[in-house]
Amino acid sequence: MSKQVTRREFLNLISAAGGTAAALKAGSALGLLPNTAQAASLDLKAANASSRKIAILGAGLSGLTIAYELSKVGYDCTILEASHRPGGRIFTIRHGDLIDEIGNRQYCQFDDEPHMYFNAGAARIPSTHRNLLAYCKELDIDLEIFINENKTSYVQDDALLGGKPIRNIDYTTHTRGFLAELLAKSLDNAEMDQPFTDAEAETLMGIISSFGDLGEDHLYKGSFRAGYASGGFLKHGVQKDIIAFRDLLKTPMGRQLLNANEGDTGPVLLQARGGMDRIIQGFTNHVGHQIRYRSMVNAVQVKDDGVEISYDQDGSRHLLQADYCFNCIPSHLMTGISNNFPSQYINALKYIRRGTAYKAAFQAKQRFWEEEDIYGGISWMNNPSNQIWYPTAGIHKQKGILLGAYDYGNGELHTAMTQQQRIEAHLTDGEKIHPNYRNLVEKPITIAWHRMNHMLGCSARWERSRSGWTQEEEELYHHLQQPVNGRHYMIGDQVSMHSAWQESAVMSAQWALADMDQRLRVQVDE
Amino acid sequence: MLKTFFAFSLCTVFWGSLNAAETAREPINDRYCTTCHGADGRGNEGVQAPRLAGMEPWYLRRQLQNFRADVRGVHPEDREGIAMRPMATKLTDASIDDIIDWVSSWEYVPAEATIDGDPARGRNLYSGCAVCHGGSAEGNESLGAPALAGQNDWYLLTQLKNFMAGYRGAHPDDSYGAQMRTMVNTLRNEAGILNVVSYINTLSR
Repeated sequence: MSKQVTRREFLNLISAAGGTAAALKAGSALGLLPNTAQAASLDLKAANASSRKIAILGAGLSGLTIAYELSKVGYDCTILEASHRPGGRIFTIRHGDLIDEIGNRQYCQFDDEPHMYFNAGAARIPSTHRNLLAYCKELDIDLEIFINENKTSYVQDDALLGGKPIRNIDYTTHTRGFLAELLAKSLDNAEMDQPFTDAEAETLMGIISSFGDLGEDHLYKGSFRAGYASGGFLKHGVQKDIIAFRDLLKTPMGRQLLNANEGDTGPVLLQARGGMDRIIQGFTNHVGHQIRYRSMVNAVQVKDDGVEISYDQDGSRHLLQADYCFNCIPSHLMTGISNNFPSQYINALKYIRRGTAYKAAFQAKQRFWEEEDIYGGISWMNNPSNQIWYPTAGIHKQKGILLGAYDYGNGELHTAMTQQQRIEAHLTDGEKIHPNYRNLVEKPITIAWHRMNHMLGCSARWERSRSGWTQEEEELYHHLQQPVNGRHYMIGDQVSMHSAWQESAVMSAQWALADMDQRLRVQVDE
Repeated sequence: MLKTFFAFSLCTVFWGSLNAAETAREPINDRYCTTCHGADGRGNEGVQAPRLAGMEPWYLRRQLQNFRADVRGVHPEDREGIAMRPMATKLTDASIDDIIDWVSSWEYVPAEATIDGDPARGRNLYSGCAVCHGGSAEGNESLGAPALAGQNDWYLLTQLKNFMAGYRGAHPDDSYGAQMRTMVNTLRNEAGILNVVSYINTLSR
């Protein structure tokens, strides 16, 4: 007889299998623990007449968030932006746009059409990123669904089936089938020892069986989930041949493929219709007049009663006096700007390493992927170009913009190449999936964030080991989050524990605003 | 007419990065230096880009020309040189002149010391360096030796290590680099490099 498991024991069991995070989520589902917070609701105190000048360094999303919120309550904001455009790493590239890479200046030659654009930086919004989504709603940004995992897209690895690309659906259906068969066998063999009731064991077997589409004998013999070899509508469908598990194990790509719909990139993802910079436009519609472009900060001096910023614009030096300063200049660039920050604050700025993410895109002369049942989503390649993203913008039109390479973790490989070498690498990689790729695409652009002017890096990297944040890192992070003298705040996704997401930039700004507001209220009370 | 021009320009620039219309779009020049080399060219440890303010025009010109000619910044282990070279590759003689003018407009402010070596030991080692670079590390144009005093110490460390390892100065057209590669051996090892740079930190020009 199986014994009943208490709710507490069930939690312990999950905890043993999945670690604390799994236990936290399960606990939340059982109503034991609180759920995550709603979007922040800032209730900022109106500006006081004698202390209302705000300097914002950088017109990225965090800086614009500050400007937008403080302008609402009467502050006088000035935004200094070193480059020619707002948005930082929220960068949608269209016809004629400058890609200001140091030593590799490019101008985008895409056709001048509304659907012909490329999100070179931020491209996805998880539906749980409530604070960003709240601004999208408030600023009336038109959103649409983003497709991350597409079952008809391809998987290609030179080591898999002689390098022949297979459909994602073939890889995932068969891999799930084989994994489920393994699980079912282990459950069958260990049934007597399982700490489950009979009913739970039956439910579990049902889940396993459904996960992999197993037969009644708990064996995997192929599945119609992978589509039909023929028929299926007016005639009976004929099942496709199975790809042997041993063959599927020739590629390690399951680690990416089975993760594409999980975590941060799990459904539902959203995007701004017409390009991610529509979000930036939503902010600049309100605070765009506050931005001084091509203004490079030269020095930041925190004083007793404010912050003094010196900057260069149009060949001359200017001084900006402010009561408060919010700074989203990348940490690795801030270390090269004169300042009077405390040494531990500077140590924190120096500690953060810069991300190396790299993307490339092509204009496609025809939407050849749609002829292969692909509408949006990602094909994965086990080569340095790694990914091809198919656009959802402009379905069934003549042309479209393809992402031809995305290397988030090791972009230095392509960054070190010349433009010609980069493009040739992506054509060579891409034609392994789409045989005529080289002739179907044109007008390439590449974005090496590590070399972009006024950026020199993608998202901040705090952690130096895979085993998580060290105590030293935690301390430096919390030190950098605190304002200098209550007057100067570092902001941006670099001052978060989850960099590379727009939500983190927004939340870092909201944290700083709430902190400033709290300090002001205390002053009034005193 | 416009269409014909555009089609032609696309054919010619598919592999390149420039096109005729660019000047109409963004005001541009080659004054990119301060993004990496910091405000007023005072160097930026965050991206390991050295101080340009106070650098002699003749030395700056030679290095820019070396980078442009693939004489410097080509060894795969020379990470900082590799970061510099693509920018220099694009420079015309006129933009090198312009950059040198610009750099000369920055005030020379000596860098702060960031390393902990033994300056007393470094002093003995420095005697070999002084022959070319001067007793106060003030530099000597006639010998082609730049000033070292006031330069970022982390940069001097990297470059001396690069000379010692052959990441810099190994190109046959880099005769000054070849001299440095010979002389750097008198520092013997990384400890010697650390000590001599610590001594240079005590000098001023």
